[in-house]
Amino acid sequence: MKLCVCIKQVPDIQAPFRIVDGRLQFDVERHVLNAYDASAVEGALQLVEQHGGTVEVVAIGPASVSETIRKALAMGAERAYHIEADPSGWDSATVATVLAAFFRDRSYDAIFTGKQAQDTDAGLTGTMLAERLGLPYVSNAVGLAYEDGRLIVTRQGDAGREIIELTLPGLVTISNDMNDPRIPSIRGIMQARRKPVEQLTLSDLGLSDDALRPQTRVTGYRPVPPRAPGRKLEGEPAEVVRELVRLLREEARVL
Amino acid sequence: MGSFPFNPDDAFLFESMLKEEDRLIMETAREYAQSCLEPRALEGNQQGIFHMEIPREMGELGLLGVTIDPKYGGGGASYTAYGLIARELERVDSAYRSFMSVQSSLVMFPIEKYGTEEQKRKYLPKLATGELIGCFGLTEPDHGSDPGSMETTARRVDGGWVLNGTKAWITNAPIADIAVVWARAKEHPDDEGEIMGFILERDMPGLSTPETKNKMSLRASSTGEIVMEDVFVPDANVLPGVRGLRGPFSCLSNARYGIAWGTVGAAEDCYQRTRRYVMERTQFGYPLAAMQLIQTKLANMLTEITQMQLLAFRLGQLADEGRVTPAQISLAKRNNAGKALEIARMARDMHGANGIVGDYRVIHHMVNLESVNTYEGTYDIHGLILGREITGIQAFVPRGNDLPPKKKPAPATTR
Repeated sequence: MKLCVCIKQVPDIQAPFRIVDGRLQFDVERHVLNAYDASAVEGALQLVEQHGGTVEVVAIGPASVSETIRKALAMGAERAYHIEADPSGWDSATVATVLAAFFRDRSYDAIFTGKQAQDTDAGLTGTMLAERLGLPYVSNAVGLAYEDGRLIVTRQGDAGREIIELTLPGLVTISNDMNDPRIPSIRGIMQARRKPVEQLTLSDLGLSDDALRPQTRVTGYRPVPPRAPGRKLEGEPAEVVRELVRLLREEARVL
Repeated sequence: MGSFPFNPDDAFLFESMLKEEDRLIMETAREYAQSCLEPRALEGNQQGIFHMEIPREMGELGLLGVTIDPKYGGGGASYTAYGLIARELERVDSAYRSFMSVQSSLVMFPIEKYGTEEQKRKYLPKLATGELIGCFGLTEPDHGSDPGSMETTARRVDGGWVLNGTKAWITNAPIADIAVVWARAKEHPDDEGEIMGFILERDMPGLSTPETKNKMSLRASSTGEIVMEDVFVPDANVLPGVRGLRGPFSCLSNARYGIAWGTVGAAEDCYQRTRRYVMERTQFGYPLAAMQLIQTKLANMLTEITQMQLLAFRLGQLADEGRVTPAQISLAKRNNAGKALEIARMARDMHGANGIVGDYRVIHHMVNLESVNTYEGTYDIHGLILGREITGIQAFVPRGNDLPPKKKPAPATTR
């Protein structure tokens, strides 16, 4: 089985950030592997450990992305592709365009992505990429199995879990609820230095500036407004419950 | 001027100076320590338990012997990486860092540096995986800061040496499979002898390792004695590569280097927990963080921590360039352990009554750091090491105040 996981480098959400005049400020030198993508790498590694095969990863970004690529290689991916570009200002569709160009001449049994990225939380790239490549896909996967040349994907739906049989090649976007990504060992980190990382440019992929023009743009950031303080009801339990029900019906209008 | 927000955990952005590989190793150590050690730390301290799965877990991730040659199972990584691992383990509990320091710096290091090829092949790979646990015997009940006057002897016999003596305050001794022991070796009974290193194995007759009970500090670390009564050690277990105090001192330099880094983690944890606490705790209608006294204390803590971080970072660079000296290590160990202890005491104070409770974890660090400030060269002894470097005059032995010759103690009298 040959799998490829699309990984993204995101700002470290542990580090402080702030919003000044509608613009987001953060320490651009602190970045990590998107946690959802880490689960996707873990899911892919577990599949090939059970059924044989290889896991490769692809990432888009500036030179600093090498650290994130190395983390995925340290976890156990065998080969990486680094598409060198400055993706600031891109939207999900642009990313999907670039990834689609990358995958067009390559063949994999399945492509995995995280279900979303921690920085934008858009959750669109995987879906758009499946559409561009004309692949069947399942989103928000929490379980994966391989049987008779097909992937059996457990998907977390709104009402419950759905078990979906996916013909291959196909694409799956993976939830962080699927697994706890392994912690790379020191040996893995040291050996990752010797694993192949192929550098690609946008022109290598035949992409023109026109093709990369984003369809949407972020016009500004606003902090989440602080939540209004709650109201505390005091008194005898029977009275308090009666009052609570009244408030839920008349003020909150949820009953 | 940059427009980044101030990072109160890394005020001078020292982590962004780290090399990619070192930062990835730091992340591995941090993920392990926070997910696997932090949940055990309070129980380990309160019940006095060193969880015996920990060596294998650390071994699996490669956290033991990270600077040792990979052909012997080590990590082959930098000294900076070793320091960063120490920082992450000690962020949870100095006891866990102590285990790793002893295994890596005091057992694996001397075997790699002074051991034979057979010894390296026999011991290092299993020490790296945590299958074997090691300890290091230098300190004796009556010889702490002055190990040169040790009483443990090794007497030459056919095919090896016979060791007699007691080593005290030995981290890992009760759980160790092997012990690197330093003894005064005498070819003939009348020789003055010279200090040599020996690798003792658990099943050697005459060797016992009683546990040191009732410790109030480093309680999640196993501490004991190494008692040797006519222990025969074959020639194959002698470390041939070194004679004299230089041997154990080079190991200590290595371990002290790790302490200079580890204590940064303990101090950071105390400061971060305190920062969260004073933001939430309200008195007189305001969070404690709104009080001037509290703010300047936080500012002092962060200032000290920033200096500790930068000192450790530079020490790491010097170690990786092969230029680090024992005096530099003394300065950093002394400063960082001493400052971490002050920060922990301040953090304990700022938590008020809650600071007494283990769940807030600051008193846990505080009592641990009392040991860390003392072991591997006390704060004052490192001051004397530096004093000698600065002045060229040793002040370990008081001069001009020669003591009268030792008399036999007078028999106890009763009136």
